[in-house]
Amino acid sequence: MTVALPPFGLLVGDHGDELLRHARRLAGDDAEDVLQDALVRALRAYPRLTHTAHLRAWLHRVLTTTAFDWLDRRRVRAGELLTDTPPEALASPELYDDAFEVLIGALPGGAQFALRLRFVDDLPYETIAVRLDCSPEAARQRVSSAVRTLREAHA
Amino acid sequence: MTPLSPDLLESLAAEALREGLADALYTHVASPIGPLLVVEAATGVCKVSFADAPDDRELARVATVFGARLLESDQLLATTREAFAAYFDGVLDALDLPVDLALVGQPFRRRVLDELRTVGPGRVVTYGQLAAATDNPRAARAVGTACAQNPVPLVVPCHRVLPSSGGIGAYGGGTDRKRTLLALERALPR
Repeated sequence: MTVALPPFGLLVGDHGDELLRHARRLAGDDAEDVLQDALVRALRAYPRLTHTAHLRAWLHRVLTTTAFDWLDRRRVRAGELLTDTPPEALASPELYDDAFEVLIGALPGGAQFALRLRFVDDLPYETIAVRLDCSPEAARQRVSSAVRTLREAHA
Repeated sequence: MTPLSPDLLESLAAEALREGLADALYTHVASPIGPLLVVEAATGVCKVSFADAPDDRELARVATVFGARLLESDQLLATTREAFAAYFDGVLDALDLPVDLALVGQPFRRRVLDELRTVGPGRVVTYGQLAAATDNPRAARAVGTACAQNPVPLVVPCHRVLPSSGGIGAYGGGTDRKRTLLALERALPR
């Protein structure tokens, strides 16, 4: 069944302001670039969304994921070692209010990444496979195993 | 609430178009009959709305048929915007743009609007004549409905359809707008 998603441009009009503020906290001077990337990602996933509840929260999650990826890339470029210590910019209360991020927070980075691609970006396994540089079947197994770990942790 | 910068929105729309992620683009055009919302799909202009119709409702209607990935862009629709500006400057055939009538569900109504496209600026027809032109001479009332529900006024010129009984007749955007358009085209009935 298809759902009546609101026109994307109106969604951006309604929430663009607060998304940009969130992007500034996460990415500073690169906020506009990161937000634009996030909105393009959101557009890719948009037609496959299966419900219209929590669209604002969904946009925030897509933006947060995009900002994490951007920070990772920047650290790699800067030759820093990847760590799992969240940068200070990410220590905003809003982020920790984000139920999804809290839920997956204890998982290894790779598992978090796979889960975000599946449940935040809402990508199909073929696309996740490209991002993870593995086969679609392996991508499915990684997501599934991460979900299993979460289930066990919260059992 | 401050909207995002026009630069960001324009580059989002451009990137979306490049990646094939835009179902349609929209823009607002200033005009003597008030601001117009113009929505354009890859195949042509699919919606033109007057200021009295709220954007969210009009765009939601477009989304049901074309998809919800609708983005605002003045730059990508520059050609269309210039066509509207030229028309209101007196270049009356400037609105001869590609249209997409996918928002018109019924085949007969679509046929009426296709036929109406052949009525050029400066000319007018009656509902009865338009009915006859679609081989349904007794369907004047149905022609009226087709015109009233024309999703792309101005581009499909339903303002050029007049009642045979005289006078200016009805218009989806109100009779004042119809009168202004016919006066611009020097086709206002005496």
